Amino acid sequence: MDVPPISRGFRSRRREQGLTDRIPPGQYVTTDFPVLSAGPTPQINLEEWTFALQLNGWVLGEWKWAEFQGLPQTTIKTDIHCVTKWSKLDTIWQGVSFDDLLKAVDLGEAPFPYIMAHCDGGYTTDVPAADLIGGKGMIATRYEGSPIPPAHGGPARLLVPHLYFWKSAKWVRRLRFMEQDEHGFWESFGYHNHGDPWKEQRYDGD
Amino acid sequence: MTENDLDFVLDGNAAAGALREVFIADMTTAHIQCDACGSVGALGSLRFYAAPMGVVLRCDNCAAILLRTVRTPHGCWLEMRGAHSLRFALA
Amino acid sequence: MREVIVETSRVKSLLLEVAGWQGHLAGQHVDIRLTAEDGYQAQRSYSIASPPEDEFVTLTVERVENGEVSPYLVEELRSGDQFELRGPIGGYFVWTIAMGGPLCVVAGGSGIAPLMAMLRHRDWRNSRIPAVLLYSSRTLEDVIYRKELDAMARRDPDLQVVGTLTRKQPEEWTGYRRRIDTSMLADVCFPPDRTPKIYVCGPTLFVEDVSSFLVELGHDAIAIKTERFGPTGGPAQ
Repeated sequence: MDVPPISRGFRSRRREQGLTDRIPPGQYVTTDFPVLSAGPTPQINLEEWTFALQLNGWVLGEWKWAEFQGLPQTTIKTDIHCVTKWSKLDTIWQGVSFDDLLKAVDLGEAPFPYIMAHCDGGYTTDVPAADLIGGKGMIATRYEGSPIPPAHGGPARLLVPHLYFWKSAKWVRRLRFMEQDEHGFWESFGYHNHGDPWKEQRYDGD
Repeated sequence: MTENDLDFVLDGNAAAGALREVFIADMTTAHIQCDACGSVGALGSLRFYAAPMGVVLRCDNCAAILLRTVRTPHGCWLEMRGAHSLRFALA
Repeated sequence: MREVIVETSRVKSLLLEVAGWQGHLAGQHVDIRLTAEDGYQAQRSYSIASPPEDEFVTLTVERVENGEVSPYLVEELRSGDQFELRGPIGGYFVWTIAMGGPLCVVAGGSGIAPLMAMLRHRDWRNSRIPAVLLYSSRTLEDVIYRKELDAMARRDPDLQVVGTLTRKQPEEWTGYRRRIDTSMLADVCFPPDRTPKIYVCGPTLFVEDVSSFLVELGHDAIAIKTERFGPTGGPAQ
């Protein structure tokens, strides 16, 4: 493969600032928060918004917005990593942890090992339950102390920060438990099914 | 963060470079018919999402996905399930 | 890079000599890719502002606040520096004199770049095809190619150049003083019964608004070609 010409004097604004143990391989730190969407930002009416946990044909639990806000809230500070190579450090999110969602429907553990997230606009992504429990995943509603802006997934997005950020599905409405894994929007189309940034699992075949 | 993300939506002209790696001919002048709503438009005028993860082109009328392509180190992916037809001139 | 022209306080035109260049059509763009020493790469698209008849390929770049690529191109790039360039790209948003007219081009901000290639091409060929440019800018200082456009319009009775300044206008300004709307387009653009070839370029919202106004005025949607610029001032992020 050809080595591309180096553009003298071009420096990425995404500099690694001596934080190599926090930055997964191939990533560059940014202070921006780029927006990437597979479709238009849905206009979501909070009066009509609901969030559900689903098992086959059964709705295990469904919450309207006010009810959802009444569930136990968790705040985390975490780094996020996009497959397009930017990483953003120390981002603060607030929402309902997956563990608390299971408790809210009287489940001690996930009934099936896999989950598909379904979102307004049709986006989907699959995540193993094992990657959501133990505080690893939440349904986030606030970013840096304010409601998540629509372009960044508001009113609610899935947040699974230890995996590439395409898994943190924007505009999430439903988590469906699955006995067998199924591939979501990007996983069925070139991208890695698991997406661990520390193993650089970007693409199907990596 | 931007208040108005409409400014980020580009069109098929911007996807032209990526599409040239998939198709032999220039696809921006191709006419694509939406399978969902039947409307026809030039590919260059369609709204283009998902850069830089890939190319997602959506119908201007009903926002259905008409064409999707991803380039990975292991090969290129292309799907056009949402398009009823694609009509283009050969180079 | 062979030459740099300062267009406005934020905009420069880069005249490039491109190895292996086969020529282009007015309206096309190029994808450029910069590689830093640490391997980091950034890719952007820029419309070609020069006509096919020019010796060099001209890219007109607006320096975007906190941009990643445009500040480098506008402030750092020196003669002899290298970057990768792919193109010309795009056959949809293209105009040649062979396509005929009348020609109506509507520009928002740095969206003038590909439309300028079309007007320069028309000028180079001494074409008599009737043409009109409606150009929306924030202030007079933001009008790119102002002197060249004034000169073109003065010497060419078949070309009309109309400007609107949306944020601030000097007292002696005789152009429009507001955002483009349906009545402005009705006054400036050729009427639908003349079936003009229409090209609209600029930020996404601008392009979508102008297109829908034109359709409201009775223009066929197929006759309106659009190119949306992202916040970096080119067709792709």
